[in-house]
Amino acid sequence: MSTHFDATLDVKGAKCPMPLVKSRKAIGDLPVGHVLQVIATDRGSIADFQGWATTAKNIRLVAQETTAEGGQDLYVHYLERTA
Amino acid sequence: MTDLSLMPAPAATAAPAAVAPLTTAPAAPAVVTAAELYAKLLADAPLLIVDVRNPAEFARMRIEGREALDVLNIPYYAFIEDEDDAAAPIPTDREVVVVCAKEGSSEYVAELLAARGMAVSYLAGGFPAWGNHVDVRDVAAGAWGKVIQIARPARGDLSFVVVSDGAAAVIDPLRHTAVYHDTIAAEGASLAVVLDTHVHADHISGGPALAAATGAPYHVHAYDAIHPIDMLPATIPYTSLDDGQTFPIGAVTVTAHWFPGHTLGQFNFRLDAPDGTSALFTGDGIFLRSFGRPDLGGKGEAWTPLLYESLTERLPAIVHPHTLILPAHFSALDEAGADGVFSAPYAAVAATNDALRHRDLAEFTAYVLGHLPVFPPEYVQIKRVNIGLLEAGEQLADELELGKNICALSA
Ligand SMILES: [Fe+2]
Repeated sequence: MSTHFDATLDVKGAKCPMPLVKSRKAIGDLPVGHVLQVIATDRGSIADFQGWATTAKNIRLVAQETTAEGGQDLYVHYLERTA
Repeated sequence: MTDLSLMPAPAATAAPAAVAPLTTAPAAPAVVTAAELYAKLLADAPLLIVDVRNPAEFARMRIEGREALDVLNIPYYAFIEDEDDAAAPIPTDREVVVVCAKEGSSEYVAELLAARGMAVSYLAGGFPAWGNHVDVRDVAAGAWGKVIQIARPARGDLSFVVVSDGAAAVIDPLRHTAVYHDTIAAEGASLAVVLDTHVHADHISGGPALAAATGAPYHVHAYDAIHPIDMLPATIPYTSLDDGQTFPIGAVTVTAHWFPGHTLGQFNFRLDAPDGTSALFTGDGIFLRSFGRPDLGGKGEAWTPLLYESLTERLPAIVHPHTLILPAHFSALDEAGADGVFSAPYAAVAATNDALRHRDLAEFTAYVLGHLPVFPPEYVQIKRVNIGLLEAGEQLADELELGKNICALSA
């Protein structure tokens, strides 16, 4: 099952807080209703994106997936700009 | 404000950070090590920890101090979302230490706060550095040698090294054993014996590893070498203990005393030095303010009367009023003196510890049942690891040992 998205942000290798800092900026550049895919390698991003989405004013966490690429776990987040 | 010395040298024209108005260039945040943070917590200077991990991580384990510590959980993403909003609850007149899961987010937030004119530092290495911080202090010393306390403050775990005339004993060693090798080497001693007061449920013992590395025998009682829930025997090499068995360590003698209750095979070890110094390593028998819960083996009903007998009959028979009580855990940092040592003479413990208040068995049982904290499910696993029924690599071991010990009855 694949989740629809309109733009993608690669933050592989980036350490906390950069995946979130970059995501915040990227989603601000999207039109309302669009979905941003964020590809991270930081395991902590799962809980952090969940926490962020519950407190952020204009973000909805649509889905999260864990996949692997070349033996490395990838944490993929889908965020919708809601306002 | 010792951490200010760690800051990069300010430009010659810059005003001191503490009085700098917002219009001058902001000071960079200082870095504080886990050891420096622990010193601040013990000194009980007014301090605010801003913990920027997510609330789930914060709920699992947090940094605890004494009276003057305040802790705020403001996730770092709140600062990214709305900096003014996130910073609003932080008073500007307090020394602030920012901590996070790794280090990067606390540095990020500390820089934001420093730019707002606050006296702020962040914890080097993040929360794991705090969780694994080991603190080493002398408890007692004389011409005979010394007793050294080795603590893991984040978990409330205490262990001890006895050194006398070139010989050493280690009691209740924690999982990471380098500190014991280093401490014993620094004293010019060699390890004679490794003693566990019991098979621990809350943390992984360093005993078998220390014994394997040095050839010293590892002692734990055979009752504890059977998993109380699985009913399976230990696969690790160990030697059992006898009630009254003595271990000469240089000029001092360590005597093993059976003290069932927290576990069936729990022992206390009493140290006697030639100058009359007396100390009792109580493991999870009695703590300074509480005592070891009797239910972690799943047999609380059977073990509570044994614990009652241990506390009311065995304990008074093996201590003098001046015997130093040296437990394997603390629950709160204010159990230590300002010197960071978690000990008190038996007379003081007997006068202040609610566990030793006179009760008959029925009252005692009701007290125990009324003060049992949650039973962490990982404690069954940890006991398996400690007797060799389960192999734990570093990652599993870290996960099993997450959080503070819950071995004492609740207040
Ligand atoms: Fe314990």
